[in-house]
Amino acid sequence: MKTHVSTYAAVLLKRQWLSNKSFGIIISTPSGFEFEPGQRIRLSCGGHERDYSIVSAPKESDLNLCIRNVTGGKVSGFLSTAEIGTSLSIHGPHGYFTYKPSPRPAVFVATGTGIAPFCSMARSGLTDFTLLHGVRLPEDLYYATQFQQSARTYVPCLTESNKLPANAFRGKVTEYLEKHLPPAVYDFYLSGRREMIRDVTLLIDESFSDSLVYTEMFY
Amino acid sequence: MTIYTGTGDKGKTSLFSGERVSKADARIDAYGDLDELNSILGVLAVHLSAKEELVAELQQIQSDLFQAGAWLATRPDSAAIDSLQEISAEQIAILEKAIDRYENELPGLNAFILPGGHITAAWAHVARTVCRRCERKVVPLIDQSMKAKVTVPYQRLLVFLNRLSDYLFVFARQCNRIHGVLDKPWRS
Repeated sequence: MKTHVSTYAAVLLKRQWLSNKSFGIIISTPSGFEFEPGQRIRLSCGGHERDYSIVSAPKESDLNLCIRNVTGGKVSGFLSTAEIGTSLSIHGPHGYFTYKPSPRPAVFVATGTGIAPFCSMARSGLTDFTLLHGVRLPEDLYYATQFQQSARTYVPCLTESNKLPANAFRGKVTEYLEKHLPPAVYDFYLSGRREMIRDVTLLIDESFSDSLVYTEMFY
Repeated sequence: MTIYTGTGDKGKTSLFSGERVSKADARIDAYGDLDELNSILGVLAVHLSAKEELVAELQQIQSDLFQAGAWLATRPDSAAIDSLQEISAEQIAILEKAIDRYENELPGLNAFILPGGHITAAWAHVARTVCRRCERKVVPLIDQSMKAKVTVPYQRLLVFLNRLSDYLFVFARQCNRIHGVLDKPWRS
C-alpha cells in the first residue's frame, strides 16, 4: 500500500443525519485521488482542519465520511450546516490502519464513529471478521445493516439502553471481550476513543498475549 | 488533544507491525537511539539557525530518520511492511555528495581529532556517536530480515546509517571551519 498524498479540491454533495450527534456526508471524489480502506483524509475549512476516516470503499464513485458533531467543533460545526455544493479542500490519504491479511482471526473493535474504517473495509468486500461496536444507544449503530451482512460475528455493545437489538450485548466492549471472546491469538484492530484503546490494549496484554494490535485513535 | 494513551504503563509498547513488545525489546532500543539522534540533530539545527542551508540539510535528515524508524518498528515478516517506503539509493547519494562537498572545503587530516571545538561541531560529534550506536543495534536486527528474506530495505538502512555517521564527522569539521575554529589533533 503506497498511495500518493496530495491536496485535492472536492465538493459537498449530500448530508444525512445518522443520529442526533452524528451525520454522514458525501463528497465528490477528486480526480486522481486513491486510498486504501481504513485510511483517512484531512478536511480543511475556514482555517481549521480535521482528520476523518473514509466510510466508503475505493471502488465507489463518491467519498462518504461519518462526522461526530462535536460541541464547539470548528470543522464538524461547519460541515453540519454547510450548503450542499460547498467547495472543500482535502489532503491525503493518511494513515496505515488498513487490513493486513493473516492466518489469525481478525477482531475489530470500534467505539462511536470509530466504526468508519471498518465500514470501508466491509464495503470493499472484507467478510471474515468479528466486530464489536461500542455505543450508548441503538440509534448510534449507524451501519448495522452493512455489518449484519458482512461480519462473521457482529456484536453491538450498548452502555445506556434498556432495549437491546438482536445479538446485542449490554456493557462495554472490554466487558464483552473479557466474558465472551475465547482465549486465542488474534489480530485486533481498535478504532475509536483513547480510553477504549487503552483498556482493550491492556486487556489484550493480559488475556490474549501474542496477538497483534493495530490502533486508530479518534480524538 | 492529549498525547498519552496509557497503553505503555505496564512496560509494553506496540510495534508498527502490531506486536506488543517489551519496551526493552531490541527494536525499541534501536529506534530509541534513532529518536535520540533525531533530537540531537534538532539541537544542532537550533545552534545553526543562522545558516539556513545547513538547517535545511539537517531537517531533511531528520525526516529521513522517521522513515528509517518505521523500518525498525516493523518486523520483516509482517504484512505491514507493504506500507513502508524504502530508504532510496538517492537518499544515500545525497549524503555522499554532501560528504564530498565538505571534504573539498576542509583541510586534509593526518591525525585523529578531538571531538569538540565550536558548540555546533561538538553536537555534531555527539550525533555521530549516537548514530554509530544505533548502527550497532541495527546489525542484529538484520538477521531477522534475512530469515524473512526481506534483506534489501534493511541493508540499505544500514548503509544509510553508516553513511550518515561519516557525514556527521565531516559536518562537525565543517561546523568548526565555518565558525573559524581549528580541529584539535590528538597527541599521544
